[in-house]
Amino acid sequence: MADILSADYIVVGSGIIGSLVARKLALAGASVIILEAGPRVTRGELVARFRNSPRRSDWMSPYPPADWAPHPIYQPADNGYLIQAGPYPYPAEYIRQVGGTTWHWAAQAWRNLPNDFRIKSLYGVGVDWPIGYEDLEPFYQEAEEIMGVSGAPNTGSPRAKPFPMEPVAEPYAMRRLRERLASDFPVVANTTARNSRPYDGRPACVGNNSCQPICPVDAQYHGGLSADAAEAAGVQLIANANVYKLEHDESGKVTAALYYDPDKSSHRITGKTFVVAANGIESPRLLLLSTSDKFPKGLANNFDMVGRHLMDHPSTSLTFDADEDVWLGRGPQSPSSINTLRDGPFRSEHAPYRLDFTNISRVDGSTKSLIAAGVFGPELEKRLRHSAAREMNVKNVLEVLPNPDHRITLSSEKDAMGIPKPETHYSIEDYTRRGAERSQQDFRRIAELMGGTNLRFSKDGDFANNQHICGTLSMGSDPKISVCDEWGRTHDHENLYLAGTGVLPTSATCNSTENALAVALRAVTHMLAQQGATSAPPPRDADERVPS
Amino acid sequence: MERRHSRPPLPTLRPDASPDPLRRALLVGFGATYVLSLVPFAWAQAVPDAAMAPFMALSAVLVGRPSLDPAQAKRLYDALAANDPGFPAAAKQLLDTVEQRKIDPMQLQQTLNDENSPLKDLPRQVVTAWFLGIVGSGKNARCVAFETALNAQVVADILKPPTYAYGAYGSWTRNPAEGPDHG
Repeated sequence: MADILSADYIVVGSGIIGSLVARKLALAGASVIILEAGPRVTRGELVARFRNSPRRSDWMSPYPPADWAPHPIYQPADNGYLIQAGPYPYPAEYIRQVGGTTWHWAAQAWRNLPNDFRIKSLYGVGVDWPIGYEDLEPFYQEAEEIMGVSGAPNTGSPRAKPFPMEPVAEPYAMRRLRERLASDFPVVANTTARNSRPYDGRPACVGNNSCQPICPVDAQYHGGLSADAAEAAGVQLIANANVYKLEHDESGKVTAALYYDPDKSSHRITGKTFVVAANGIESPRLLLLSTSDKFPKGLANNFDMVGRHLMDHPSTSLTFDADEDVWLGRGPQSPSSINTLRDGPFRSEHAPYRLDFTNISRVDGSTKSLIAAGVFGPELEKRLRHSAAREMNVKNVLEVLPNPDHRITLSSEKDAMGIPKPETHYSIEDYTRRGAERSQQDFRRIAELMGGTNLRFSKDGDFANNQHICGTLSMGSDPKISVCDEWGRTHDHENLYLAGTGVLPTSATCNSTENALAVALRAVTHMLAQQGATSAPPPRDADERVPS
Repeated sequence: MERRHSRPPLPTLRPDASPDPLRRALLVGFGATYVLSLVPFAWAQAVPDAAMAPFMALSAVLVGRPSLDPAQAKRLYDALAANDPGFPAAAKQLLDTVEQRKIDPMQLQQTLNDENSPLKDLPRQVVTAWFLGIVGSGKNARCVAFETALNAQVVADILKPPTYAYGAYGSWTRNPAEGPDHG
């Protein structure tokens, strides 16, 4: 075992949150090492992989897992990495590579609503967060300025400062939705980490319509840029370093991270403070793997809370044909939504939701459907143009409540490195199902207002997953029902912090990334204070900063 | 048996491309008047590879297009044949079936299904190759064409294939019925 590297802070995971935490620590003068399980991949490679993929609608197809750092893959066949214990499947998707999963997000950069932080007090469901909206507001702004977020101030989240950018120009199809639904629903621009003008050296959107799985021009922010920024700030990023265990001393302080390189040689990195930011599944997995005589259930797990309260955003949807040509696929993929059902007294009865409209080109999907239906000859082109012009889709984005039985555990099966695989235990509860039922009337009304025909509801009881993995490292003030405090510091280990969507104690109704990023940026102030840097020194030049 | 010797006006496949490379495309191997009636603009041209003739004729019927790019045809044919060595013979057999029984393309799949024909998977394979650029299935699937796949071409007056820039920032706000807004 080599043992040559050490730093003030060791961050496990180079995704958008791990990288930006590391960057902020480094800018404050600390030495930081990021350990990333997966490889470095360039944007150009990803674009080429997408264009050459036989499964263009499978957004994981440009992201095959490395042998030494597997992640779940379901097409063309399940690679069996994420074990499904049921009763309802939880086919999570995430990416283990430098930059993490936001390489293929839709750049939805939402703030929670103020009431999302107090659903137990207000509605008698779920839990209250240990912090409120006002605690996070400055850090939402910080996150938005780093990512370059565009949006309009009419989505229910108050702000002290304006968005860095105005909303991205509205695609024609979304304009028609906004105009024709105005009597019943306000359709508003989504809040996205997508440039409506050149920002931070990156261009404005040019409508490539491949936001998922890859923006070819970096008009959309992603974790690869975060990792670049971390390295520019002096962070040392070690790729292909699959952390499989954290070690601790007699007092319970974490002392080292052990990782395998692709040849399964083990390495040991020491540090003063450790931040686990390896996503909502891999982070609890690492804590559970880190067993010892002193902590036989793993780290931060004295009350058996690690991995519990798994949440996401299930969706059901309606596809219909409008009575006019709107041609989805012009401009970015996810531009507009309805936000009026995200909060209200009904939350005591059923899940709130956002209603989200897609602007993803219908061409590939319609082609497949028509071929499957045996539509050949001149009729194929005719019908394809009709579907591409008229097909629209709306989905709900439903809140899931925290339930300790929904969880990530270690499987008895092992991955290619001989490490136990993660296993999911999940279901869709009545609270969420009632929200889905309630949204059916909205679906029907939306279709009616668009002159919709050929209504195709998603299969009854089928919920699509949105890959917003959260809750598994929940923060809270009661150690018996949470894993870490409001700063992400584990209740059980004073120098072990958690960052990422797993820390979020409720899922609310919007994408989890910005919420988790704001929580993590806020936590950095605490991490620095704990190492004695209460007033952050001015940034040093990157070349002065080397691991101590 | 008849062959068209005069060259009729061609439908415009890519209105934004001039000269259109597909105007150099060819149709080959049509023996039956029936097929010509399905593909009214068909004309005959020298075949670069005679073995491909039935595939080209079958493709024209199934995709409903009189002119098909010969270079793309060769790539798709080679990929389909590599995927299944029996493909060339099966394509000829299916073409013969269509010609002899005058089966409308819209009825073809149902007919083959009803008869549990060994050729029943062939139309989807051929049309998937042309329209999606994909040959093979499951783990053996591979992409042979993307921006030149027909499903990109037939909407090229309005849409760009994903990953291709639509146009200048905000160009997508216009009603596409007002005319092309990218070039």
